[in-house]
Amino acid sequence: MAKPRPVPGIDPHRRIRPNARRILAVRVDEVWSYEPFVSDPNAVRELHDMRIACKRLRYLLEIFAVAFADDLEPYIDEVKDLQDLLGEIHDRDVQVPMLAEHLEELREHGDVAARRLVAQERRTRVNGGSVSEASYRSFRRRLEAWSRADQRPGIEALLARRRQERDALYARFLGEWARLRDEGFRARLEDVLGIR
Amino acid sequence: MAKAWEVHGLHGDLRFEEAAGRVILTRWREMMSFREGTLAGEDIEELHAMRVSSRRLRAAMDAFADAFPSRPFKRRLKRVKEITDTLGDARDLDVAVEGLEAILPEMAPEERPGIEALIAEYRDRRADENRHIVALFERLDDEGFADDFERWVARRTGVTVEELDPQPPARH
Repeated sequence: MAKPRPVPGIDPHRRIRPNARRILAVRVDEVWSYEPFVSDPNAVRELHDMRIACKRLRYLLEIFAVAFADDLEPYIDEVKDLQDLLGEIHDRDVQVPMLAEHLEELREHGDVAARRLVAQERRTRVNGGSVSEASYRSFRRRLEAWSRADQRPGIEALLARRRQERDALYARFLGEWARLRDEGFRARLEDVLGIR
Repeated sequence: MAKAWEVHGLHGDLRFEEAAGRVILTRWREMMSFREGTLAGEDIEELHAMRVSSRRLRAAMDAFADAFPSRPFKRRLKRVKEITDTLGDARDLDVAVEGLEAILPEMAPEERPGIEALIAEYRDRRADENRHIVALFERLDDEGFADDFERWVARRTGVTVEELDPQPPARH
């Protein structure tokens, strides 16, 4: 996680507003410093850091709102929406590799279990000679029970779902970012805060 | 989400350090008001509310960091971060279980064992997290962290928690 940049020139004995302006100017700039990575869907770390930067900015706007004459609520809402969207993307970026790894382990275990079941049946046949109807039914029952307990189809479905969600969320994020840019959101926010 | 407590006496003309004391002590008391409910573990919303409050507290500490000397500030921030992170691990599992339970009815019968096994695994891990939460608060109690935190903020900002008297928002 990227550390927040230090803010020079804070004087605790002065009023909130001049200090808040200095802090917010740095934190606004931090969010937009990730703009070059926005169009890269694989920039997982940078998108995560951008979310953290949005979170810091949002909380600061909430805390320092009292020092500004204009209502900051609409700006806070926009930053929060961006933060939430990036958070949803990050959740998938964490879940997808975890599920893929889990699935790989299940596949390895599943192959071993299936081979064991078939080998067991083969041994029975070799030892007993002929295959009775009862032993065939028993084998089918065990095979079906194993198949019912198989966790792989669920994890495969969940993994596919999470990948689709990630793609959809990223597309939404791109759309939101483009809208904010078209609406001159950063400039408007900086005007309201008096830091432009 | 639990509403943030109002910060008494906060206005734009305050000195930065006094605002720091008012905001941080309010967020501190807000967070600690969910402590018993979180430790009881009967309602996952109590833990969620405590985690949200702890994040508000951390944000306030970050915002007003320059009102405090660096080293003792970092020591206390580290403890608050520990609270947020410990609660966060438990909360993530609560959310994961809720999410999986919500999609379970939509899954095909052959897909359910995998999801059910995942839910069971997350529940086991969540039980472990409860133990971590209890251990963390026992340690903080042993250190006398709550008293130390309130007195230290008061000493640095001139705002005492008694005078500030933070209160939860009125219920409608």
